[in-house]
Amino acid sequence: MLMIGFLIFIVMIGLSIGGRQSLTWPEKFVKDAIGGIQQMIYRPAGAVAGFFQDMKNLNTIYEENEQLRMLAAQYARDKVEYNFVKNENKRLQDELDFASHQKEMYDYTYMIAQVISVSNDANNRTININVGSRQGVEKDMAVVTVDGLVGLVKAVTPFTASVTPYTELNSLSTAFNAISATVLNKETESFGILTDYDAELERIMMTKIGEGDPMKEGDTVITSGFGNIYPRGLQIGTIETLKVGEVGLTYEATIDPFVDLNQLTEVFVVKIPQINEDEELTP
Amino acid sequence: MSLNRIVLIILIIFVLEGALMPWLIPSSFGDRIIPHFTFVMVIFASLYGSRHQALALGMGFGLLQDIMYYGHVMGAHFFFMGLIGYLIGILLERKKATLMLAISVIGFASIGFDSVLYFINKVFKLTTGSYPWALIQYILPSLFLQLVFALLFYVPVRKMFESRKQFHSSDSAEEM
Repeated sequence: MLMIGFLIFIVMIGLSIGGRQSLTWPEKFVKDAIGGIQQMIYRPAGAVAGFFQDMKNLNTIYEENEQLRMLAAQYARDKVEYNFVKNENKRLQDELDFASHQKEMYDYTYMIAQVISVSNDANNRTININVGSRQGVEKDMAVVTVDGLVGLVKAVTPFTASVTPYTELNSLSTAFNAISATVLNKETESFGILTDYDAELERIMMTKIGEGDPMKEGDTVITSGFGNIYPRGLQIGTIETLKVGEVGLTYEATIDPFVDLNQLTEVFVVKIPQINEDEELTP
Repeated sequence: MSLNRIVLIILIIFVLEGALMPWLIPSSFGDRIIPHFTFVMVIFASLYGSRHQALALGMGFGLLQDIMYYGHVMGAHFFFMGLIGYLIGILLERKKATLMLAISVIGFASIGFDSVLYFINKVFKLTTGSYPWALIQYILPSLFLQLVFALLFYVPVRKMFESRKQFHSSDSAEEM
């Protein structure tokens, strides 16, 4: 019995370590069944905890209101500016005969999702959410909160999806792809790759930063969207330290992430528009 | 108590562990205190049930854990939950486990389980951080949570498994 268990263990590790494209139907069934039950518990518990959190925050609400009012005023000004730029951009795209998939490349849709459970394994912090392939979620889609990037979708079942958070970024394993990043307000000049997560420092490591790169400590890091696999413009964190990397040719930075992964409730799955292959082939 | 009831109770514990516990643990300790209540139940099964029962429960709920929170590799929980339960069952088969013995066994088993999981992930380079760091960061803090859980539910869980044993033995006696 134990021997059979050991054999299954070796086979399972061997099959699952390379990263699979999809799950088998028994896995999907079990995940959906348990996920459905967990959803009924996580949300009410979160609502109760959120109520006490709100009570605590009551004193700071006046200051927060003031800040939000200022932000709203700023937003109204920016919105006017944005509309002008958007129309101008659209006109230029029309004049330059952009193909429709090029025009729609950055029309991301944000799909709201509720967290249903959190893994109890320190080496593998998976978060399950309540949208799945029925709602159009696919592997490797980015998941964000209002604050910034949470992680990427790892496995999808019809009604749930497993999200691998940024803490599992690891250049040595196949479990998590590196994410290309840049810096807010210096999007065209800065470039770096998020490759690792340093668990001891609790910081994301950004490597392969060029020597003449204008980024500096305190800047906001966002995804660059190069390669069109992950969406662009998702906030990640602020640069905490910037120093010469191990090889000595490039710089590396530690990033303090915006999102606290504990007690998440609502997240957004970012859908990037599908590129129509036929249209791409016929000019 | 029949095995079905026991499985149902552990299943409820498994569900609550993923859905309710994140809210009970203070958010600043969310990645430091990690509940392993199903594992504690498996150790209880090996202490007050039989080692085969512990092996079956450990493998079953380990597999469930691997599927539910599919991240990097599958099978680590599946194998080691069953194995540790089985080994403890062999070690303490002829001994009547008292409260102190049960709690200390659960403590050592939790450290062993977390360490084994750490090293499995380390071997496949899925985790960063040294072992001493991991020990201080989450293995020892979560040990206390496991011990508190074991202490709180010691009496009802022991009754649950022992009544199952008696039910089982009286059943087989009748058959004879």
